[in-house]
Amino acid sequence: MNTMGCNEFLNQLDAWLEGERQPDARSHVRDCARCRGVAGDLDAIHEAAPLLAVEDADSPERVWIAIRAQLEQEALIAGPSRPAHQASPESSGGWFEGFFGLPRRAALAVVYMALLVAAAFAMGSSGNHGFDENSWMKNTENSTMPLSAHLDSAEQAAVSSFSGSKSLVAASLHQNLAVVDNYISLCEKSVQEQPENELARDFLYQAYQQKADLLGQMAERGDPSQ
Amino acid sequence: MNAQPEKFQPKFLVPFRASFQRPFSVSGKRRLNRKRLRKASWRTAGVLVPGLLLFSVSPASASHLERHFKVEARPVITLHNPNGTVTVKAWTKPEVMVTASPATDQVDIDAEQSGNRVDIMTRPVSEAIAPGDLRTDFDIRVPQDAELQIHDDSGAVNVNSVLGDTNVETIGAGVDLEDAAGYLTVKTVGGGFQCVRCAGRIEVSSITGNFRLIDLRSYHVRAQTSKGNILFDGEFLPNGMYQLKNYSGVIEVRFSPGDSFDLSATSLKGKVSNEAKLTPPTHHFYQKFGNSLFGSFNTGQAKVELSSFDGTINILKRN
Repeated sequence: MNTMGCNEFLNQLDAWLEGERQPDARSHVRDCARCRGVAGDLDAIHEAAPLLAVEDADSPERVWIAIRAQLEQEALIAGPSRPAHQASPESSGGWFEGFFGLPRRAALAVVYMALLVAAAFAMGSSGNHGFDENSWMKNTENSTMPLSAHLDSAEQAAVSSFSGSKSLVAASLHQNLAVVDNYISLCEKSVQEQPENELARDFLYQAYQQKADLLGQMAERGDPSQ
Repeated sequence: MNAQPEKFQPKFLVPFRASFQRPFSVSGKRRLNRKRLRKASWRTAGVLVPGLLLFSVSPASASHLERHFKVEARPVITLHNPNGTVTVKAWTKPEVMVTASPATDQVDIDAEQSGNRVDIMTRPVSEAIAPGDLRTDFDIRVPQDAELQIHDDSGAVNVNSVLGDTNVETIGAGVDLEDAAGYLTVKTVGGGFQCVRCAGRIEVSSITGNFRLIDLRSYHVRAQTSKGNILFDGEFLPNGMYQLKNYSGVIEVRFSPGDSFDLSATSLKGKVSNEAKLTPPTHHFYQKFGNSLFGSFNTGQAKVELSSFDGTINILKRN
């Protein structure tokens, strides 16, 4: 019988990531889809980060700088916000330093995943205070608006760097981006209609994640000079 | 063991052969595109058949590259190919054989060995190359325990009987795995995925690709596609976890009377139909949104989670 709750599990995530996986925590992860998703994402980041360092691909500098500035502004990462032209990914501090040491595209994906996990935490913590539609809606907006802003910024950069390409691959990426955008719209509508619907929010977050990933692929294949 | 990195250019093995494809005019003017032939380094052959007034020059075979690498147990093979069909098959030799067939001479193919790792890459010889000219087909033989990392934007990827971990990433290329095992991760954008008689752990994601998971013996399956269908027709192993998800399309799961699983199936805006006789859950609280179905089939030893945004979920008896 599982006795651990979501909050308790989230409070011991550090230990979980370091491999200290208590039977109660394992049992909770097995039974709770949301915590399983969070743990899975963090495990994936943990495992992928060192491996990604061997890849070699860049995304546009301005996307990177914009994301960093946004993350600093939202206090998701430490360090004072600097003007874009002074921003130096390599000199950033804290836990984020490792990610900035990675190739850009790889780290971009890691950052997006981290953002999604951060958003999931925000949503997760709001889920234990009973039902309050306004509160749910506010939390959802607080979580999704920054994500949406990041993605809009990344999309502009990725699409502009990719605009010259007329290959089938480029066409496929554009088509699929439109598909994902459509699902994002549908999910947003669904979440607005039923803010407490966790499944709708999961679908929304995963659509964001897919979009981040697609933009990363477009940036990878775009004009390297940009 | 370490071999020197080596870059190999296409060698065109064109045995002399005549066929009768190109007409030879009475005036004797051969319709040959000499520039193209010279550029492609084709050794051409022509035969004038007296009386028939026909002339033929035809390459007998496409360009063909072949390399062999001696490897030890559990070698790692990576391939980056922008366009083409990639076929990987296991064999019993402690050796990796790479056969490449570029469609044009507009690509270089690098293949190098570093320890127990073989890296293969197709790259354009210059920037202004039509995507179709990048097409290169690969036929690769590897030891059964090899680990594969394949990137192929368009074309197709076929892997057969490889038991090591396999990672495949494509944009439009379809991926077909047969008799594979290990940790299988497949990611496509628009390409479909089929896995027949696979075992181990399977994680697959796509945006518009369809998935077919047939005769699986896998304890962990996680499959997500946005606008695609998912068919699961395999075993539900005890303590196994099976998560299938899409936004729209059909998720179809087939079960046998002897299977044992806990089922959670939800389609937020679509339909769920079920032929399994489920025991309602007694110990767990599920939030119910949309069309949902929860319960245990037999003793509920595996966990099956099906979710769709506005698609249809069918849980059907296996014929």
